[in-house]
Amino acid sequence: MNTKDIIQSATKSISSNAKRTSLTILGIVIGVASVVLMISTGKSFQGYILDQINSFGSNTMDVIPKGFEKFGGNLESLTIEDYERIKRLSSVERVVPVIIVNRSVHYGREDMTPMVFGATSDIFGNYGMKLASGRLLDESDERGAQRSVVAAYQTALDLFGNRDPIGQRIVIGEESFTVVGTLKSAGSLLLSDLDKPVFIPFATARSMTGQRHVSYITLKTVGDSDIAKRDITELLRTRHRIDNSQDDPDLDDFIARSAEQVTSIISSVTLGLTVFLALIAGISLLVGGIGIMNIMLVTVSERTQEIGLRKALGARPRDILIQFLTEALALTCGGALVGLVLGAGTGWILSRIADRILGEFHFILSPFALVAAICMAVGTGLLFGVYPASKAARLDPIEALRYE
Amino acid sequence: MPSAHTKSPRAASRTPLIEVTKLSKVYVNDAVETPVLFDIDLRVQSGEFMAIMGPSGSGKSTLMHILGFLDRPTHGKYRFLGKDTAGRTDDELAIIRATKVSFVFQAFHLLPRATVLENVMLPLLYHPTIPSAERQHRAQAAINAVGLFERTNFLTSQLSGGQKQRTAIARSLVTEPQVIFADEPTGNLDSVSGIQVMGALEKLHASGHTIILVTHERSTAEFADRIVHILDGRIASDSRSHSRRSSSGLTSLK
Repeated sequence: MNTKDIIQSATKSISSNAKRTSLTILGIVIGVASVVLMISTGKSFQGYILDQINSFGSNTMDVIPKGFEKFGGNLESLTIEDYERIKRLSSVERVVPVIIVNRSVHYGREDMTPMVFGATSDIFGNYGMKLASGRLLDESDERGAQRSVVAAYQTALDLFGNRDPIGQRIVIGEESFTVVGTLKSAGSLLLSDLDKPVFIPFATARSMTGQRHVSYITLKTVGDSDIAKRDITELLRTRHRIDNSQDDPDLDDFIARSAEQVTSIISSVTLGLTVFLALIAGISLLVGGIGIMNIMLVTVSERTQEIGLRKALGARPRDILIQFLTEALALTCGGALVGLVLGAGTGWILSRIADRILGEFHFILSPFALVAAICMAVGTGLLFGVYPASKAARLDPIEALRYE
Repeated sequence: MPSAHTKSPRAASRTPLIEVTKLSKVYVNDAVETPVLFDIDLRVQSGEFMAIMGPSGSGKSTLMHILGFLDRPTHGKYRFLGKDTAGRTDDELAIIRATKVSFVFQAFHLLPRATVLENVMLPLLYHPTIPSAERQHRAQAAINAVGLFERTNFLTSQLSGGQKQRTAIARSLVTEPQVIFADEPTGNLDSVSGIQVMGALEKLHASGHTIILVTHERSTAEFADRIVHILDGRIASDSRSHSRRSSSGLTSLK
């Protein structure tokens, strides 16, 4: 039997029982569809997050006090002096100190609590935020600790509605500020809304709060971010008198974290999650495979006489094995193709919905998902086809011919 | 060697197609030994039309299965075309079945959802040397030889019993085997269809094919030139059929 004969015979036998075939492959369809869906959705979500981080520019680095993300840490460990010294390092530029001012914002009868960022003017460039109207904060605002404020897109809309925000006066805490600019919509980053905060000059925030420390520092690295990280770490350890010859990050009272690091952490987390979900989906493929084995066993017993006949006509055990293995493979591959389309289609629809909600969500159909699903389907077909097929191949021709 | 029942005077000097000596078969089932054949000695020359006759349980089907390489003897020697067949692997036996022997069964054993042509082409799938391009041509020739030209593209489920068996005969012809085994070929047929089927076998014999017929009916066995009686696993008699029947006279009576 040549390959063409084998395939013809397999497709003929499968298509002769269309209803049973379609029910049989349903398990494989669902299994492959869920594997493809899980992997492509995981990839799409990862892509979405990485896109957002990269929109900051890849050479962004944040220096944050340990207490920012670790309970019991010191939120006040980074001083303004630290900022001044970091600024002098050659491996960094556009160093921005940030003080988050914990005050509410009033305009007329409107009362809101957006994040109030006291920061120098480089923050807009560092965060990739674009001006919509008016002007950004500048050096003169900073020098004079002006009561100027730039509002992000959503907050400007909420406060002023259809009115022109430029020149409007709002109250932050107890003090009156003039709106000098508004920002374009920037969407969200890691599920925090970039369209909510308002920005005031760093000097103003400092005088309002009277604090000697900064909430965090954000900067752009020059060249290799690892060198910048090393410089900052050395500088701050010296300044904070931290003896850390072991280079144990747990001893530090600060964290210098580049966007690349965040990217790789998120990548590995989402990869782990994707693999985990795909494995669970793979279990359904396994169940589908058992369905294939079941139906192949039924087929073999239904066609025992045919197997006996084929053997009497000169089929070798291996011809019978290949014939039934091919049928099992054809079933799983057929199911896999339908499952691919179904899984990719569902993933695409979900990504459209996510795009509506989150914005800038792109559907990524990873070739890995396709290859993995096909391999798993072929593997399932072989794994669960071998037993029925070898059972068929081992049948005694005389007994098989007499089988009723 | 007696050559009375062979057609050619030179037959005695030829290598027999089938030569069986001291052949016996014992089935072992759950440690219970059931002897089926004892000390069978048999020679068949090419071109013979021989009937193996006996009641059910006599061992005639077992003998046919061994001669047709579907089964192996427990003891004794089986030489086919002068070559000992002992120690052949399953694959080697399969190749012999694909090329040298063929079967016509009582229950027809046709693929139900396939056409006459597809059924007749089936053995060629397993033939190691006939190229696939020749399959259809050869199958059509075999179908024509049994008079089913007009049924070539019929599904076998659309055929009468006699037509089904003639399809099976065409299938047994298509590989041009050395010997055709017909196992109760008329067993599932009415008498008219049975005679037609025997007529088809007669025709094959006349054109030079070796046919070994297995039957329990004397009337069917009498179509053959030579009748070997099997009784309780032994050859009871081996004789030339003196009152050989012919399908031509019988069909004209109907």
